[in-house]
Amino acid sequence: MSEKPFSLEFSKVTKTYSRSHLGRTTYSRGIVDLSLSIPEGESFGLLGLNGSGKTTTFKLALGLLRATSGDVRVPDLSQVGFLPELPCFYSFLTPRESLRFYGRLSGLPEQAMAARIEEVLSLVGLSAQGDRRLGEFSKGMVQRVGLAQAILHDPRLIILDEPVSGLDPLAIKEFRDLLGTLREKGKTLVVSSHSISEVEKLCDRVGVLKEGRLARLIPHKEWDSAPEGLEGLFVETVR
Amino acid sequence: MKNVLLLALTGWRENLRSRFFLLSVAFAGVFLYMSLLLGVLAVEQEVRVLYDFGLGFIELMGLAGALYGAVTIILHEMETKTIYLILTRPVSRGEYLLGRFLGLMLSVLASMVLMAVFHLAILAAKGWRWTDPYALAFLGAYLKVFVTSALATFLAVFSSSALTAGVLAAVGWTLGHFLPEIRFLVQRASVLAAAPLAALSWIVPDLQLYNLRDRAALEAPLWWWFAYAALYSAVWLVLGRSLFRRKEF
Repeated sequence: MSEKPFSLEFSKVTKTYSRSHLGRTTYSRGIVDLSLSIPEGESFGLLGLNGSGKTTTFKLALGLLRATSGDVRVPDLSQVGFLPELPCFYSFLTPRESLRFYGRLSGLPEQAMAARIEEVLSLVGLSAQGDRRLGEFSKGMVQRVGLAQAILHDPRLIILDEPVSGLDPLAIKEFRDLLGTLREKGKTLVVSSHSISEVEKLCDRVGVLKEGRLARLIPHKEWDSAPEGLEGLFVETVR
Repeated sequence: MKNVLLLALTGWRENLRSRFFLLSVAFAGVFLYMSLLLGVLAVEQEVRVLYDFGLGFIELMGLAGALYGAVTIILHEMETKTIYLILTRPVSRGEYLLGRFLGLMLSVLASMVLMAVFHLAILAAKGWRWTDPYALAFLGAYLKVFVTSALATFLAVFSSSALTAGVLAAVGWTLGHFLPEIRFLVQRASVLAAAPLAALSWIVPDLQLYNLRDRAALEAPLWWWFAYAALYSAVWLVLGRSLFRRKEF
């Protein structure tokens, strides 16, 4: 492959939200002075309390938001897969139709499309439900389709916002195994989650966001040697 | 262009399955059928009344569906976050906007054709025979809806309120029928009053161009109908695209 290695990089990024109402503008903090580099092949976890800026960070990386200041260096979007928290699909489509739609938008070659769709449906355990309307699916099944569309075009960087939210324990284990497989394949994973144990099992390094600032970067070996593990370090940081 | 086509066809499929679309076509069918009562009141001119009423009603229903679709479609996708999974792929904002607009226009065309088929069946039952002006009047009605929808799409991107965008587009549609009068006023008004009127005459679509009901023959060649619709719509969609590119989600 002629692809050059890439990384996801934030350089002194600040995002301030502004809202105007009746001539009055109010500002609120999103992200403050974030500098972070995630090299290719790393599994990176983003932890933080609600409103700490995790989703804002992802949206900046994906171009859904523009930084107020600083630079975000992102790979070509055709090399990025994204699973939003609570993904939403066209309810009249089936998973197969939906994946075909997203595959075409991602530029997946037509001749490879059908086989790839079957492969990812099988990976997320939805082969048998591939022709049912998405409108009839449970939250957990929609989440699986969400993961399927995120990995469909075999991206090098996969961004997962709360990937196990709403899943039952068995599905969480299957999800974790699948993400482990992607990690072994050398994919770059960036995961946000409220489940510290999931991040602990999956990630090489964790960033803790507190009130929009990157309060701490914790490498795997640090939480391995900490008496209370990652949870203890997280609580210590956000308190 | 491939992405535009894909988004347009998906949008068209989505609209055809929506309850709003099915209900509006069913409502139009019932209302067109009810128009038979109106025809009875015009003893000598029954067919003429049914003809004019039907075409006008088809245009209004098409317009209502198109404006509703144009002002809600993007806001709805933003609210449900469906847009995230599209714009985080190699799809430009312009492709997205154009694809959604064309998908809506395809759906509106389908609904207007369905209503026209029903209308023609009613007219045929009353002894009316096919004449070319019907097709031209229908085309004119569709192109009026088309250009007004392009304006509505821009307004939907410009304003965060679907209601505001819808009302402004409806005002544009109304004023568009009085463009010759507005131009006349520009020539007669004082400089102070002429300037905003002149600006208005450039903003609102020239819907009188497509109005066949008030005259016996076409005033402009047919190619100009299409060229005007394409140019007017393109201007608003390009402006809409430049605003949409700056939008954050």
